[in-house]
Amino acid sequence: MRIFWSFARQAFQNTAIYRFDYWLQLVSVFLMMYSVHWIWTSLYSQHPAAFGVNVAQMVTYGILGMALEAIFNPGQGPQMYIATQLKTGGIDTDLAKPLDFHLHMLARNFGEILFRFGTLVLPSALISGAFLGLQFPASPVAAGLFAVSLLLGYLVLFALNFLLGMLAVVTLDIRSISWTYNSLVRFFSGQMVPLWLFPGFLGALANVLPFRSIYAIPISIYIGKLNGSAALEALIFQSVWVVALFIVGRLAWNGVHTRLVVQGG
Amino acid sequence: MRKEGPWSGIRTLLSRDFAVKRAVDDISFHIEPGELVGYIGPNGAGKSTSIKMLTGILVPTSGRIEVNGLTPHKQRKEYTRQIGVVFGQKTQLWWDVPVIDSLRLLKDIYKVSDAEFKRNMELFSGLLDLHEFQLTPVRQLSLGQRMRADLAGALIHTPRILFLDEPTIGVDVVAKERLRNFIKEINRERKVTVLLTTHDMRDIEKLCTRMMIIDHGQMIYDGSVEQIREKYGRHRTLVVQFEREIPEFSAPNAECLKSEGGKLWFRFDRLATTPSELIAYISARYPIVDLAVEEPDIEDMVRAIYGGSEARGKEA
Repeated sequence: MRIFWSFARQAFQNTAIYRFDYWLQLVSVFLMMYSVHWIWTSLYSQHPAAFGVNVAQMVTYGILGMALEAIFNPGQGPQMYIATQLKTGGIDTDLAKPLDFHLHMLARNFGEILFRFGTLVLPSALISGAFLGLQFPASPVAAGLFAVSLLLGYLVLFALNFLLGMLAVVTLDIRSISWTYNSLVRFFSGQMVPLWLFPGFLGALANVLPFRSIYAIPISIYIGKLNGSAALEALIFQSVWVVALFIVGRLAWNGVHTRLVVQGG
Repeated sequence: MRKEGPWSGIRTLLSRDFAVKRAVDDISFHIEPGELVGYIGPNGAGKSTSIKMLTGILVPTSGRIEVNGLTPHKQRKEYTRQIGVVFGQKTQLWWDVPVIDSLRLLKDIYKVSDAEFKRNMELFSGLLDLHEFQLTPVRQLSLGQRMRADLAGALIHTPRILFLDEPTIGVDVVAKERLRNFIKEINRERKVTVLLTTHDMRDIEKLCTRMMIIDHGQMIYDGSVEQIREKYGRHRTLVVQFEREIPEFSAPNAECLKSEGGKLWFRFDRLATTPSELIAYISARYPIVDLAVEEPDIEDMVRAIYGGSEARGKEA
């Protein structure tokens, strides 16, 4: 467990160097939260009853969707690190370490995510709580379930990203696939539009795919749209995906390790 | 596989041809604890591939590797705790943060105790002057400093075996000397077994007692540095300066290599004849002004060995 903190500390040292970059990110998160707040308020002023939840809940959903992007952006996943290391041949310094590769990537990524949660998600939540009408969790139970669900959501995203990283081991380049993948994640995770607003077939599809573990489930629990046994079922859904994807990821790693190419010298 | 000719780009895009190349083929060797072995070969010979298999990074398609009783790629986690690796062309340090931060992370990764960390840091400060730049971000280090920092990183967990893949590449003469002294010190004081690849034969001369040469993925020499001197270093060159320009001529057991402005180069086998016999023969014919005997340096010998294997490679 200690290794997770070590990586978080390193991520802090590493990011603290790029202060300007940090402030820019904070500003852009705030701009996105502001726009989504504005979009939902104006939509509700037209059709107050068309979206299944009240305006306060929906604004909270939208703002959280933007705030959590700081930790849920698939573009910062381990697959990008793996692809870079493969490209530069640096992957051998990773493999020369006494760490399980899968867990090493998790520790490295989770360290960064922990840091980003503290420095980007929390401040933007506080700001939007003060100025944009971000509500508290629906209940103390919802708050607890939200925390668990958030962690599970992260693990699902990590496991998916890791699989994409495994693809990078085979193809050595995942830029074009990443682009499609990132759009898929954004769309089916319910970051922008809650999944309950999806029409029939798309809604059913989104419900079985693992992506809703990422934004839709945690945020729906937070605003109280998912509660009671439905919330617990959602947590089970997430857990099953975490386990399944980690097993697949492990098998994939064992499979590609034997055909690993280390580029350069 | 890349196509040639017009439309080659498109044809490459549409085809699925692969060329399978054996980077390393049927190499066997055994290294004793505490040895300092030079592992050399021309570019593309298979050195780095061997090192990557020995460090558990690449999985061999066939054959057996055992180091310290472990199979590198199978028991990678346990194994890598006992080894240190430096790739001269890459760094394992974090680019943007001070050296010390990367070393602290490595301390946690390898679960190094505080006492051991402190002891090693003192050693590195003493031998590598690490304290002079440990607070500098890696991207601002000179190559020599970066290599020293990487060596410190590879040794922070007190490994039994050290793999050095071109640790002196691109480093200036003075910095090279420091690195060599450090490697020697670590090998002698801590009994760390070292396997070193390099293109600088002075690294081998100063550090190694044994060297292994590979080319085209095959071992072409494995033995002491002394032996190679005897085997490939039997020839000497006698350079003779005459009073005036004279035509080329040969002496018994010596051939004339070239002639330039009254200077002749004679190549001879020191087991077939001696310099004094040769000088006596020559001075009986022409008056000699000056002379010198040139010994081949290890670089010449290695060139001769590579050349031989190149010829064999073409025949095959």
